[in-house]
Amino acid sequence: MYDLRVVVDEIRGFCDLPMHVGDYFEVSGGRITIPDGRHMCLWALQSILPMLPAKERNIVEDNDWLSDTVRVACPDPNGMVIFRIERVGEPAGEGRKEHDGRTGRDACSGRGPRPRMLVNEKLCAGCRACELICSFTHERKFSDLLSRIHVDKVDEDGIDRPLVCRQCGNARCVEACPNGVLSRDPETRCVVVDETLCSGCGACADACPFGAVAFHPETGVPLICDLCGGDPECIKRCPTGAISYGLAGAIGEARGHGAGCASGKSAEPVPSGTAK
Amino acid sequence: MGFFGYAGRILDVDLGAGGGAGRALIEALDAGDAMQYVGGRGLNVARLVREIDLDVDPLSPENVLIIGTGPLDGTLFPGAARVNFTSKSPQTGILGDSNAGGFFGPELKFAGYDQVIIRGRADRLSYLFISDDGAEVLPAGDLAGLDVWETQEAMLARHGRRAQVACVGPSAERAVRFSGIFCNLVRAAARTGMGAVMASKGLKAIVVRGTKPLEVAHPDEFLDLIRALDGRILNHPEYRIRVALGTTRLVSALNAAGCLATRHFQTGRFEHADEVSGERLAARLRVKGKACFSCTIPCSRFFEVKSGPYAGLKSEGPEFEGLAAFTSRVGASDLEAGLATLDICNRAGMDAISTAECVSFAMECFERGIISREEADGLDLTWGNIGAVQTLVRKIAAREGFGDMLADGVREAARKIGRGSDDLAMHVKGLEIFMADPRGIKGYALGNAVASRGGDHLRSEPSFEFTQDAEAAVRRFGAREAAFRLEQKGKGRVVKHFEELCALADSLDACKNTIVNMEVLPFDDAAAMLGAATGFDFDGAEVQAACERIVNLERCFITALGVRRADDTLPRRFRVEPMPAGCGSTSGSTVALDEMLDEYYEARGWDVGTGVPTASTLRRLGLDEWASRLAERGVPIVDR
Repeated sequence: MYDLRVVVDEIRGFCDLPMHVGDYFEVSGGRITIPDGRHMCLWALQSILPMLPAKERNIVEDNDWLSDTVRVACPDPNGMVIFRIERVGEPAGEGRKEHDGRTGRDACSGRGPRPRMLVNEKLCAGCRACELICSFTHERKFSDLLSRIHVDKVDEDGIDRPLVCRQCGNARCVEACPNGVLSRDPETRCVVVDETLCSGCGACADACPFGAVAFHPETGVPLICDLCGGDPECIKRCPTGAISYGLAGAIGEARGHGAGCASGKSAEPVPSGTAK
Repeated sequence: MGFFGYAGRILDVDLGAGGGAGRALIEALDAGDAMQYVGGRGLNVARLVREIDLDVDPLSPENVLIIGTGPLDGTLFPGAARVNFTSKSPQTGILGDSNAGGFFGPELKFAGYDQVIIRGRADRLSYLFISDDGAEVLPAGDLAGLDVWETQEAMLARHGRRAQVACVGPSAERAVRFSGIFCNLVRAAARTGMGAVMASKGLKAIVVRGTKPLEVAHPDEFLDLIRALDGRILNHPEYRIRVALGTTRLVSALNAAGCLATRHFQTGRFEHADEVSGERLAARLRVKGKACFSCTIPCSRFFEVKSGPYAGLKSEGPEFEGLAAFTSRVGASDLEAGLATLDICNRAGMDAISTAECVSFAMECFERGIISREEADGLDLTWGNIGAVQTLVRKIAAREGFGDMLADGVREAARKIGRGSDDLAMHVKGLEIFMADPRGIKGYALGNAVASRGGDHLRSEPSFEFTQDAEAAVRRFGAREAAFRLEQKGKGRVVKHFEELCALADSLDACKNTIVNMEVLPFDDAAAMLGAATGFDFDGAEVQAACERIVNLERCFITALGVRRADDTLPRRFRVEPMPAGCGSTSGSTVALDEMLDEYYEARGWDVGTGVPTASTLRRLGLDEWASRLAERGVPIVDR
């Protein structure tokens, strides 16, 4: 995938927001970044949006207008601000290595979507049981520092955010590693670490957009979720369903049952018949 | 020796040593002590009675504050998340002991400590930073007067968000005698004034970050036992309701039973209970469930008020006690206002039970003309006037005006006010009782009367009396009445048993919801779990004996300080005034303590006349030295 920069190329009308020629924002993966102190017109953005995922990717359809189109206009008939979409640098992500230059598909997708680690932080009760079972399963010890999943907590806002490898389609960590230490398991698509080659440089952790890579306190190698071979223990221990393992889109089912329960319905408040 | 389950180390901090720099020593945990007292509350009281002169002034540097965790804290054991703070109480003058959930206890284990002893007094406001390598006493002048939330925020900004903080609010700095120690903002070791002790040592906060992995002795066996326990919890009939409502369900449940503390125990049914119930809270304000460390029952909640005068109020909590504190107990029907009042109380760092008692006591005194509006600083303390309640809570925290009168607890307030108000002071041994009326729950009534830290339900939690399971009552406690809340027969034995289960929970520093109320860990299972975790060879009888030893040692401590049978009592109202009409089957009921006390002392092996443990009981539990220690203090010891 390519990173993009969207620049104000020309203003033919009058923009009272105002946008100025040279104003820009950048797109990297699913993220839009606007430079500090600058702004972006809501109306123009919504007209540009459909172009962005397309321009991030190689477009190989014959005779399609998308591959050659780089300019988009804002929808305001009085404004006529025209934006230019540029591709920045080389394509990023491990996908480029597997890219066949024709289909734009990565090597595994032919076998259909794979289950992934899915997170719904709105359900997370913050108990950190996932950290404990992860550490115990992999190291036979209890320690958040030995866990491949971490719950980021902000007590005052009630935020509990599980940080875990999501098996990104285009994994930045794999691409970022200078030593080729990271690869993908052909079956589960989890990121596999070749500990013998790792220099502990931290590039993978810096590249991860989910903050999901930590390092072993003694060996210094990255601790990346291995999906426990396809049946993650943390999922089985989670009492709320905040983390689940499945196809994207199946996210979000609360479960009132806890550890060891594969599924269940949301626990709705019910009138209590007996006191404790 | 190397330890499993236990961290194996005790941290001993003298704040006053080294010319104000403080001194921290690390000693090894004694395995014999661990087997005798398990951990947490048990190990804490065992250490307390060795460390202090029993007559020490609780707010002097010579008192010690002991922080204890249990052998399962930091493991997968559901709810082994707690931490006990133990000292001599400045509120009651007897045993001070209180525990909190959240994440502080496990973090202490990860730093490698089962127990921390804090002695002396820092020469300026300080905080303690505990790490794998020991402890540092650091200046905290900039934290003076900050509330609990501000203090935690400042500490995490300095030490990172993975650190855990236990701190006191401004009320403790002003020596409010029911100020607590707060972890994770609202998880309070609230009872018996442990916050006042901490503040008296010049300590504003304790921050801990630990990075040492914790190991259990037999990992496979331990995991099998945890999975079996998971099954007992998940399949428990109460599981779903506990996840949905936690303890907040008790507002409507106790109201239905006719024993919800309403307008300072004037009656047991609150006409607005539905408006302030746990169900209403869940339906209107609950954002999501919350859990303590490693727990499989997310029974807590995060709520947010999105509109109205309290829009923007958000917090974890409340539990039942906090929910009923500034609603039914003070006769107020506005849920959001009640939560806002609790928030004031929490941020100031005070015990919600004691604060609500002091306020509602003042309101009843006001209603009866015992205190005038002028004496109450002009506040209109009419039932339900939540604005006045909020003002009074703030005044207590600041020890300002009439608030100062209440800031030493309700026993002291009644003593200062006089005019017969002591009959209205709802405490036992100086500790205020919670939001359930003892007249409707006779086992809890007895539990409150005999609890080692004063009037408190969490020393026994005999919820068995709600089961109505007559067959189990006969089998377990020798009387079918034991399973019925309004009956008294058998309750002495029920309370004894559940006191020991509570001692187990508090010494593992795990949650009573599972161990005591849901009874998912009988002593045999506890022994197996402890064996797998620690490698020690426990059997169920030994674990129960350890719990009995803890209860008896605490009793020795408080009898040495003068507690006798006559002190194992309840406020006059519950003994003398029948529950008014309109409270269902609870109407007309009073508590007749004497027969329950006789049965309880018999079951305990304590002298029925005095309530003092007999010499033979002390010998049986390996507490021989206390027979002479008590005798030296003039405590009548019977040997039979």
